[in-house]
Amino acid sequence: MIETRRLTKRYGDTRAVDGLTTKVEPGHVTGFLGPNGAGKSTTMRMVLGLDRPTDGEALVNGRRYADLSRPAHEVGALLDAGAAHGGRTARNHLRVLARANGIGDRRVAEVLELVGLAGAANRRVGALSLGMRQRLGVAAALLGDPGVLLFDEPVNGLDPEGIRWIRHFMRDLAAEGRTVLVSSHLMSEMALTADRVIVIGRGRLVLEASVKELRARFQEDVLVRSPERGELGRVLEEAGASVATEDGALLVRGLGAADIADLAANRRLPVHELTPRSASLEDAYLRLTDDSVEYRAKETAR
Amino acid sequence: MTDVLNSELLKLRSVRSTAYLLLAIAVMLAVGVLVSYLMTADWDVAPPERQRQFDSADPTVPLLPFAQFCLGVLGALAITGEHGSGMIRPVLVGVPRRGKLLAAKAVVVAAASLLVGAATNLLAYAAGELITGDRPKPISAYDSFGEAVPTLLANTASLVLVALVGLGLGFVIRSTAGTLVTLCGLLFVLPVVSMMLPRTWGEPLYSVMLPVLPGELVGDGGLPLSPTGAGLVMVAYAVVALGAGAVAFTRRDA
Repeated sequence: MIETRRLTKRYGDTRAVDGLTTKVEPGHVTGFLGPNGAGKSTTMRMVLGLDRPTDGEALVNGRRYADLSRPAHEVGALLDAGAAHGGRTARNHLRVLARANGIGDRRVAEVLELVGLAGAANRRVGALSLGMRQRLGVAAALLGDPGVLLFDEPVNGLDPEGIRWIRHFMRDLAAEGRTVLVSSHLMSEMALTADRVIVIGRGRLVLEASVKELRARFQEDVLVRSPERGELGRVLEEAGASVATEDGALLVRGLGAADIADLAANRRLPVHELTPRSASLEDAYLRLTDDSVEYRAKETAR
Repeated sequence: MTDVLNSELLKLRSVRSTAYLLLAIAVMLAVGVLVSYLMTADWDVAPPERQRQFDSADPTVPLLPFAQFCLGVLGALAITGEHGSGMIRPVLVGVPRRGKLLAAKAVVVAAASLLVGAATNLLAYAAGELITGDRPKPISAYDSFGEAVPTLLANTASLVLVALVGLGLGFVIRSTAGTLVTLCGLLFVLPVVSMMLPRTWGEPLYSVMLPVLPGELVGDGGLPLSPTGAGLVMVAYAVVALGAGAVAFTRRDA
């Protein structure tokens, strides 16, 4: 379990994280979403005791990170994949981290096997591809078989096979009852991986919900144009849809385009346009974080 | 603590820079031995009145400043290498108590430089004695091993000290290049500058320079600081460097 209470980090006048209070529960994958610069990494770094909060606190299993005596057995983290001395071999990199927490070489061999790096164990970290370093970072996080795992942008640099692998891997870890927090700036990725999402923008909590709730909240609608708008609207409402009017068109929720077409055909009502409008999770996310994007490219035609 | 010490020891052993630094010291030892040999050969054919003007054919003379720098680099790299590569983050995630990590690094760096320093000094002494044989002073640096012991100990102590100063500077400065430039300044530039200053400031400054301290520690004639004073200054260097390192390391975000 990871908890933050009014967690705040200021750099001069900039508030990287601003009074963030949230709870990450065990047993499911929690996606930590936000645009670039929203404060995801800073939050994770504060949870791990790397950065000191300006205010508030972050707790892991109810304790401050610095109070854990052999933290690898409780918490594993993948921060940035490049964070390893390029001159050490993959195995020695892990052995160094393992020893600091009293973990033996046998476990090092196990995690190398687990992430599929056993064949590259004696290669220098500097000679590994980004994807392999990402796997090495995952291996390091797993050394102490921890109950809490934090992954910062784990799919960066992975090939499609690697992305699938890590997605399943995180879901398996959560299914074993572990707390898994995964940051990403891509909703589409989280829609496939996470059960719950915490969305932040400009360091503030925007939304905390399950992926299911999020889908429901930003449900699809269908745009219908018909010369018999009033009549068609009544028919659709009788069928259980909710109908709004916009620009002389009907916006229908609760019925699919096929059902609407069938109903209109049965009543012999003409339909001039029938457009399903998908508010994908991606759109939902963009709408949520629209006013909190810090660095925006000049608008181009969409 | 044992876990963290084990980890630090493995870190030191598992990077190539450690081997390169040891190799550099070994090469410089060979150069020092060669210089001693050539000096002794020169002494043998010199007329008696010139023989008395010879310095000692002691391989330590060219070796010591170089070995100080190499071990200073070893100390510095123990932390700047981690900041430079980002390795410091997974390391601190595993060892969140920063004071403990700093202490472990200091113990491992001190132990390694003690071992290397003592071995280097003993080898240099033995080689020098072999070369000068039963020739008299000043071409022979010492008449007996007993006479050499204080100097060997002082030189070894200065090597450990410079390694710890390098480590402390590394904790404060973080960047490898910046730390090595500062170390060069302390070892090679400042002593020269202090000799160019007016005597009233120059002499006290010169007397506390890192390369001057081991000579003062054994009471070499002509140097301003007493052995006790030199010993205290050496302790002060280590305390200030590691203290500043500890303050910087525990306060700053990693």
